[in-house]
Order: sequence, then structure tokens, then C-alpha cells
Amino acid sequence: MEVGQMQRRLVDYTKSLFMEGFLDAQFLQLQQLQDESNPDFVVEVVSLFFDDSEKLLNDLTMALDQPNVDFKKVDAHVHQLKGSSSSIGAQRVKNACIAFRSFCEEQNIDATLRCLQQVKQEYYLVKNKLETMLRVKQQIVAAGGSIPMIELGF
Amino acid sequence: MNPSNGNGSMSTASSSGAWDGRDQFPAGLRVLVVDDDPTCLMIFEKMLKACLYQVTKCNKAETALSVLREHKNEFDIVISDVHMPDMDGFELLKHITSEMDLPVILISADARKQVVMEGVTYGACDYLIKPVRIETLKNIWQHVVRKKARNTV
Repeated sequence: MEVGQMQRRLVDYTKSLFMEGFLDAQFLQLQQLQDESNPDFVVEVVSLFFDDSEKLLNDLTMALDQPNVDFKKVDAHVHQLKGSSSSIGAQRVKNACIAFRSFCEEQNIDATLRCLQQVKQEYYLVKNKLETMLRVKQQIVAAGGSIPMIELGF
Repeated sequence: MNPSNGNGSMSTASSSGAWDGRDQFPAGLRVLVVDDDPTCLMIFEKMLKACLYQVTKCNKAETALSVLREHKNEFDIVISDVHMPDMDGFELLKHITSEMDLPVILISADARKQVVMEGVTYGACDYLIKPVRIETLKNIWQHVVRKKARNTV
């Protein structure tokens, strides 16, 4: 695939992530923070988010698997995931966390288990999409092209 | 994790005392940011540096408190997350307001009014809801100036 095609693919793909609600304006904030002194900032933050989230999802799975679920602990983990997902702009993950927290407050075990599945699903979806997007960016740079600016009119 | 100064060591923090901000205003504002979430901490650090502030980051409230106690006049403002496992932001805020005269901004993904109320009542000069935008951080110097102005009255 030649560079122009890759660049067009990147623009369309990135736009679709915003249109479909996977990412929100906060992600644009991160892109704006990236500069020559820190050219890999977005990749680094996103990788950190992935590592941290996977840990949190494991902790959540274990916490909900206990005979006596400690909902305060579950809520604390979800709260953290809500904070980090909102900070990188992973909108659908954040929204899934909001729903999750309300069921934690009700101490509803069935609903919280369903929420966990929902959060996991949203997380793996956005992870997959971000990895694809970052991979295309890498390919463009490797082929000597520049990363196109995305106009989104927020 | 040990607190790490944006410039590489604690001793490079301004030793001339208080930041009066007139010359490079508001660049050089000395900020201590505390958050146990590594993703958020990394983003805050980058945003604060983009504001040209001098940033020290901590992932534990206990560590932040000992840093502040040991280096009392080397910070202008503290930004802290509320929900942290060892000591939460409210407790840290209470220690800081009783022991030193630093403005404290609380940050949380928790926007519930009663939690915000608690923070403000305990003396937080502001309470920001995550996700925080860089534009908001560009204005935090106002809290430092306001506090100084009140103190000199």
C-alpha cells in the first residue's frame, strides 16, 4: 500500500473511531501533547493504559468471584478504570464503568457481573482499534510519510 | 515508585524561595501532582510540563506528604487525586492545610456533589473532575496568586 493510501486509510479509520464513540475529545488532547521532544507520547500513554487496565480487569474478575463480594473494593477498581479511561478518551469504556458503579452501589451481583463483561468487551474493542490505528501510523512513518492532521470540528 | 522531578532531581527546584511569577509568569510554577493511577499521572505530568510548570509527580499520598514536609518552600501548589488506597486526597488535604500554607487542588472522576462539597469544605481551593483538559491546568496559577494576596492582607 502506498503512503497516500495509508494516510487516507488512517484519516478515515480515526474519524470512524470518534463517530462510533470509541474515542472522545480527550484523545485529541493527548495527540496535542505529543511533540518533537516526546514523539511517542500517545503510544506510551496508551500502552500504559492497556497494562494498567488489564490488571484492573483481573482484579475485578477476582473480586467478583469471591463468595462474599466486597463491593467497596469492586467500586474502587471500577472508579479507577473510569478515571483512566476518561483521561485517555476511551469513551465507551468510561460509560460502561459509569453503569457498573451504579450497580455496585446497589450491591447487585448479577448486574455487576454483566457489567464486568460489558466493560471487558468495550475495553478489548477499543484496544484492538487503537492498536490498529497506531500500527497504521507506524507504517506511514516507516514508509517516510507524515501523519495527517485530523480535522474533527469538535 | 519514588517521586521524580521533571528536571531530574529535587535539588533543581527553585531555591530562591517563593515563586513570584512576575518574570516568566506563569511558567516555572512548582507543582506537586499526586495520583495512584499511572495513566492519569503520566498525562498530568505531560500537560503540566506543556504549561511550562516545574512538575514533581508522586503515586502515593504518604510519599507526597513527606516530600512536602522535607521541601517546604519548594512548591507553589499541590494537585491530588481523591481516591487513593493508602491515604486519600482528603486526608492529604487536611495535613497540608494544617501544616503548611499551600493551595491544594483535588481531582477525581467522582463528580458526586457531596464528595465535591467535602473537598471544598476541607479547604481545597478547587475540585476538578476527570478528564482534566490542559486549558484548565493553564489557569491554576490563579490559586497561588489569590492565596498570596489573601495572606498579605
